[in-house]
Amino acid sequence: MTAPFYQYGMFGDETSLVLAFFIGIGFGFFLERAGFGSARKLVSQFYLNDLAVFKVMFTAIVTAMLGVTYLAWLGWLDLSLVYLVPTYLLPQAVGGLILGVGFVIGGYCPGTSVAATATGRLDGLLYVLGIFAGMVAFAELYPLMKGFYLSGAGTGMTLPGTFGLPYGVVVFAVVLMAVGGFYGAGLLEKKFAAPGE
Amino acid sequence: MPGWSARLTLNQKLAAGAVALGAVALFAAPYPGSKVTLDARELALVVGTEADHVEAQELAAWIIENRADYRLVDLRTEKEFAAYSIPTAVNIPMSVLPEAGLGRQEKIVLYSEGGIHSAQAWMLLKAQGYRSVSMLKGGLDEWKDQVVFPVLADSPTPVQRSRDERLRAMSAFFGGQPRSAAAVAAGAAATEGFATPQTPAVPRVAAPPSPAGGPKPAAKKRKEGC
Repeated sequence: MTAPFYQYGMFGDETSLVLAFFIGIGFGFFLERAGFGSARKLVSQFYLNDLAVFKVMFTAIVTAMLGVTYLAWLGWLDLSLVYLVPTYLLPQAVGGLILGVGFVIGGYCPGTSVAATATGRLDGLLYVLGIFAGMVAFAELYPLMKGFYLSGAGTGMTLPGTFGLPYGVVVFAVVLMAVGGFYGAGLLEKKFAAPGE
Repeated sequence: MPGWSARLTLNQKLAAGAVALGAVALFAAPYPGSKVTLDARELALVVGTEADHVEAQELAAWIIENRADYRLVDLRTEKEFAAYSIPTAVNIPMSVLPEAGLGRQEKIVLYSEGGIHSAQAWMLLKAQGYRSVSMLKGGLDEWKDQVVFPVLADSPTPVQRSRDERLRAMSAFFGGQPRSAAAVAAGAAATEGFATPQTPAVPRVAAPPSPAGGPKPAAKKRKEGC
């Protein structure tokens, strides 16, 4: 049995939607358990006194990366069939900046706002409504932005491909980066600890 | 040795574990080699239903729409490619196809002069586990015949007229011009015997404004993010 199961036709579109539903529930559950249903917790990373968001996300990346690497090494996962989001470097950088500004102002990112709404937080609900308003505005303005939106198209860039490094070296480097990042985050948290803590 | 390991927090132990796994991964070779098994029945089904064909006019519509969810590959030699190519195509001659670095999850459309080389390349890529490879039906010959120099009806019915309108626009987009059915028939009559049929020389076509780009089909869309 080789993954990705969807690519190997082990289940179809309908089943994949059902699976996506349950994976999404799990994702939301763990976001909430990590405290990410609260805007206070989320924005405290921008005040540098609680970098839990950074740590949780980077831990998820490292865990998934190691899992994928070993599964592929064992031959249980065909990495070349894993879908890569196409790269549009500059438009994606600009999009990332807009998302970051929205995160700082609104206190949520898209996923966490849904998790917050699910637990009954009104600020989360307002944020979700804002997301939908933004989607409508984007769709209406799309003809004006299309040129930029699609500029610099490339098939999905990867770190090993871009830097010409062996796959394993990149994996090891990202793990070291994460561990170094966690250590640095701990120092920052001590330095910028909120008064009274 | 309970001393030092007891002094580590759970987080530190997990970090050490990740570093160890990462260090072992230095020797990982997660991409498979070029040997895969072929599903003969699936191949026969695909060939039989022509699910692996892209019609010339279908491809032309994709290019005009600026779609970017596929990669168009010209299998001819560099020289032939320089003389004329379908806009947005990349040139990957047959001989270097296996090392060309095409993604196996990519949607690939192959074309050559006629159809033989693209059919051979199709089989080659299928045998290497490429999931979504198709061929331009009839190759460049049919492309010229149906898209660049399409044949219009002489006394068109209303239905044909709207089709001809579309063909005219398509042909203009690719720098060609339509032919009338009568002229084609006369040309065919004149060239009976051993003379070479007259195909108009195909002009060099400029690529459309932004060659790669366009919306993805909704079914393929995946989302990610936090």
